[in-house]
Amino acid sequence: MREKWTSKMGIILAVAGSAIGLGNFLRFPSQAAQNGGGAFMIPYFISLLLLGIPLMWIEWAIGRYGGILGHGTAPLIFNRLWQHRAAKYFGAIGIFGPLAIFIYYTYIESWLLGYCFYSLKGTLLRLTTKEEMLGFLQRYQGVSSRDVFVYSYLFFVITFFVNFAVIYRGVKGGIEKLCNVALPLLFIFAVIITIRVLTLGAPTPSHPEWNIANGFGFLWNPDFGALTNSKVWLAAAGQIFFTLSVGIGVVITYASYLSKGDDIVLSGLTATSLNEFAEVILGGSIVIPLAFAFFGNGGAQEVARSGSFNIGFVTMPLIFSKLAYGTAFAFLWFFLLFLAGLTSSISLLEPMVAFLGDELSISRKRAVAVVGIATFALCQFPIFFISRGVIDDIDFWAGSFFLVVFALVECVLFVWVFGIETAWDEIHHGAELSVPRFYKPIIKYVTPLFLICILGFWFFQQALPTFLLKGVPRENVPYVVGTRVGLLVLFLGIGALVRKAYRRKFKELP
Amino acid sequence: MSVSGWIFLILSWGLILGLVIFCVWRVLKEPYKDL
Repeated sequence: MREKWTSKMGIILAVAGSAIGLGNFLRFPSQAAQNGGGAFMIPYFISLLLLGIPLMWIEWAIGRYGGILGHGTAPLIFNRLWQHRAAKYFGAIGIFGPLAIFIYYTYIESWLLGYCFYSLKGTLLRLTTKEEMLGFLQRYQGVSSRDVFVYSYLFFVITFFVNFAVIYRGVKGGIEKLCNVALPLLFIFAVIITIRVLTLGAPTPSHPEWNIANGFGFLWNPDFGALTNSKVWLAAAGQIFFTLSVGIGVVITYASYLSKGDDIVLSGLTATSLNEFAEVILGGSIVIPLAFAFFGNGGAQEVARSGSFNIGFVTMPLIFSKLAYGTAFAFLWFFLLFLAGLTSSISLLEPMVAFLGDELSISRKRAVAVVGIATFALCQFPIFFISRGVIDDIDFWAGSFFLVVFALVECVLFVWVFGIETAWDEIHHGAELSVPRFYKPIIKYVTPLFLICILGFWFFQQALPTFLLKGVPRENVPYVVGTRVGLLVLFLGIGALVRKAYRRKFKELP
Repeated sequence: MSVSGWIFLILSWGLILGLVIFCVWRVLKEPYKDL
């Protein structure tokens, strides 16, 4: 008997928890500031309406459909939608992707726990320059020296066990209970920090023009010229894609714990809207306005360009060191990011655990133990080879490229193979809201075409150069190639398990 | 911040807050409905 969610609010918070991650608070503001400011919101909202929301409904519907048939993961659900021998292997991406992301994501998540500790201890706030802060991050990562790394590793072990402790307790007792507490806490912490930012005024007396209103202007003043640049549209579509956790396979697994008559239209839309609230309103009100208020226009531009890691682990603690009650705010900031990371990382584990339970009849206890041992071993690679480009490479393949491939496959299978009429009926079973009819042609034509365009652009702009190791320093090439071989082996291993599960369930192959 | 910046901010926030309030209000009618 498969587990079920206890309440409607439970699954909404769990899906929102999976979607709300570090990207909402760190990636979105940097993307918006670099890609046209307020004008970025035009392609952003168009992508949300044409790509994000339809894919969200498709994944919820596929998941609920599969769950009723006893499948909680994509491989055998895809096989039900399309009786072709290749279908289950496309579905294997829905297990491989989250597991591969988990391998490096947990490590980064553990930095947040570590930084909570160092905020309270006062270590972080004693560092007053960017160089000192960057130096500490490199020591923490074990790149420049090993003196802090031992504590960093300890925080990784704690984070890793917290993840598995939650998953071990199951859907109701673990994931749902955690998200019911963690999500409200996350919102409260983010609102407290946002209120502090909004009431900051001009904190640098020598530069009264460095104020929060101008900081918001830096993020929101539109540059309409950016709209003629295809890269801006691609960046907006990419942001929507990553922020909603679609194309990973996680939402399918979560929705598989629903029953036939349960609503997915309103629930999916609510989870999406909570994610957007966290991203645009809270995420957009913290990092960039603060950076502008403390470092001015040039500093804010540098921060926006410096990437998510630098914003989160260098710029923000530096700003908190200049704020009154900085220790408390730094702790709130890192703890809210830790909660965002935790509710995302547990969702990355669930597909593999669900697959072992549903398709190979392995008990949750044993499945968690097996996945725990395997992932603990795999996590050592990004930890010890972080300076060799391992994390970036796993993130590109598992966290970007295969996401779009998987989304395109699920969209085509559900809408074109399963059939738009059946798909439309499936989405509306038990619906508490009716999807507007104009969404039917959007889901059938626009969303898959949008995905094909993204895939095409990425293939030529990013995947081809990345595949050909362009820009990878010569000394890192063996590590990057090794990472790819490792990912291939992991995918083949999951493929073999999928084949075994298929034979076991259908006994059609010799 | 320029006038157009304010317009984009208010429209974006308004759209998202409107969606959140509508969805949460609908869900809160039966928030812990057994599934």
